[in-house]
Amino acid sequence: MKITFPHMGTTLIFAKLFELFDHEIIMPPRPSKKTIDLGVKHSPEFACFPFKVIMGSYLEAIEAGADTIVTSGGHGPCRAGYYGELHKKILDDFGHQVNFIIFNAPQDNWSKFMENLKKIKAKKSWFNFWRNLKIIYKLAKAIDNVEKIVEQKRAYSPNGEVDLIWKKAKEEFNKINTIDEIEFVETKVKADLDSLSIHLPADKDRIKIGIIGEIYVVMEESINNYIEEKLNSFGVEVERSHYLSDWIDDTFLPFFGESTKIKAKGQQYIKIGIGGHAQESVGRIVDYKDRGFHGVIHLKPFGCLPELVSQSMLDKIAKDLNIPILSISIDEQIAEANILTRVEAFLDMVRQQKSLEERKIKHG
Amino acid sequence: MGKLKLGIPRALLYYFYYPFWEKLFSELDIELIVSNYTSREQLDKGIKYSISEICVPIKVYIGHVLDLINQGVDYVYIPRIISIKKNIFLCPKFLGLPDMIKNSIPEIENKILTHQITAKDDSLAGFKNYLGMADKLNISKWKLFWALQKANSHWQEHRKTQLQVNIDKKVLTIALIGYVYNIYDRFINMDLLRHLREMGINIVTFEMVDSQIIEQEVKLFPKPMFWEFTNKLLGAGYHFLKSPDIDGIIYVSAFGCGPDSILGSFLEIDANQANKPFMTLRIDEQTGESHLLTRIEAFVDLLKLKKS
Repeated sequence: MKITFPHMGTTLIFAKLFELFDHEIIMPPRPSKKTIDLGVKHSPEFACFPFKVIMGSYLEAIEAGADTIVTSGGHGPCRAGYYGELHKKILDDFGHQVNFIIFNAPQDNWSKFMENLKKIKAKKSWFNFWRNLKIIYKLAKAIDNVEKIVEQKRAYSPNGEVDLIWKKAKEEFNKINTIDEIEFVETKVKADLDSLSIHLPADKDRIKIGIIGEIYVVMEESINNYIEEKLNSFGVEVERSHYLSDWIDDTFLPFFGESTKIKAKGQQYIKIGIGGHAQESVGRIVDYKDRGFHGVIHLKPFGCLPELVSQSMLDKIAKDLNIPILSISIDEQIAEANILTRVEAFLDMVRQQKSLEERKIKHG
Repeated sequence: MGKLKLGIPRALLYYFYYPFWEKLFSELDIELIVSNYTSREQLDKGIKYSISEICVPIKVYIGHVLDLINQGVDYVYIPRIISIKKNIFLCPKFLGLPDMIKNSIPEIENKILTHQITAKDDSLAGFKNYLGMADKLNISKWKLFWALQKANSHWQEHRKTQLQVNIDKKVLTIALIGYVYNIYDRFINMDLLRHLREMGINIVTFEMVDSQIIEQEVKLFPKPMFWEFTNKLLGAGYHFLKSPDIDGIIYVSAFGCGPDSILGSFLEIDANQANKPFMTLRIDEQTGESHLLTRIEAFVDLLKLKKS
């Protein structure tokens, strides 16, 4: 069984998961122009962009020898829950013989879920199984903890020292096998970041931008044109609305995660869950405003169903809360220069609004 | 005090549920005002208040809401239909419809009459769904209860008449797969039905298929879709694929429709394997009539050739 999976965010976590169970892995290549072209060619025209990119990833991985695809399902109403089935249908139509292991929510079909788990567990004992899951969970948490610091400090490190540490950290994390090792690496990387001579400016001089939207385009930097790095390079701090460990929390421990609290904050604008992360997206804007952020960037794939609903409220929310919001729709035709220009103009506006407000406070 | 004037946009599920709403609100002594037929001008207004990327049916809907506000109604009825089958929803845009309208059109919040509907089957008559609305309109629960019963039986009768179709096997029969608001809005689909009828073609749609047949077909599918109306199209679509009476299938889909992008691919692949002529017609606010005509004519010519 040669396993591959969609490329989303820090893929080393998924790779580690299968590695711990002694599976052979075909790493999906980082989505490139070629991946996207391949995916677009073989996907329905109006499928959302992540579907097309993942399609391209699968085709590349199959070419490299993968015969099993592991992915997640869902029960809607967002289209993403149906990706697995449609990918399978289209790949079958091409005559590619690949197995799909699609993880739907366990309560939908227990026996199917257990069957899938056993395929992943392979020859390991259940004891090892739980131990491995725990390692993966801790790993996801540790990586996200480090990344949050990176997203802040990188704004004040124009020479790329932070990036260097972050790159090395990912390599180190890739080598771990036990929880102790994860803790060791995390402490070490944090110490390295601390030892850099970076001085965070005084609170009033910092600019913080939140990134919200659809999970795939927010987390997969090769698709959103490395928007976080770009924002950092303009000297602003960034925080995303999605981190892998939060996603694990929300999926498996829905009542303990943060998302219930976040959703409640957007109640006024969007009453019920409508699929995807639309409700969280709206709640996050309110949350970012409460936490003193200066602007919000909304990312979504072209034609995304739930995020279109949240996008249609952005103007009103921006006005109500007095926070600048930039919405960027991402598809195969987006160009880097386009994003750069819009982000630059947006940041000018954010800075201007910030100084306007400061003046207002000063003069009463 | 005169009767309350309630506006119903002639868009989206109007084309499926209007007989129900008509009976319900007349029983409740509410004056119903249906917006004007979709027109260029009206759609343009809708486009102005919607984000550019959203599907045409939503733009049309917003146009109709504005039309009603112009006509001076007291409220516009915008129900939030969450599901009409257990664990199966409607498209996210229906789930967020009142939120979307409220936050897109300025100063409309007090003009919206909305309530949530979660039902086990196609009927919208679940009493509990309407309680909040009844309080707001000062209607007694008894009156509401009976009005719902009457509206429901009226609607069920209406559905039964839709099922009686006679297929004349001598002429071509085309199955139109598409949501009610794309098939029956004459403006948005450039009067597709009339064009087909003028060519002497029988037309069947999903409402003409017994819901039991639809459900059977859906059960055969590995994983049902998440959206109830898409499931109906899926069931009807696969039924048409197998039915020898159907000469060809036209899939009418709106630009940017998400559920269609999923179902359309399944049907297209399987129609190909079943050797059933299949064409996708994409409609949007810029579709030209001659373009549409050319494509239909070519498709019909092909079917005629195949039949003879």
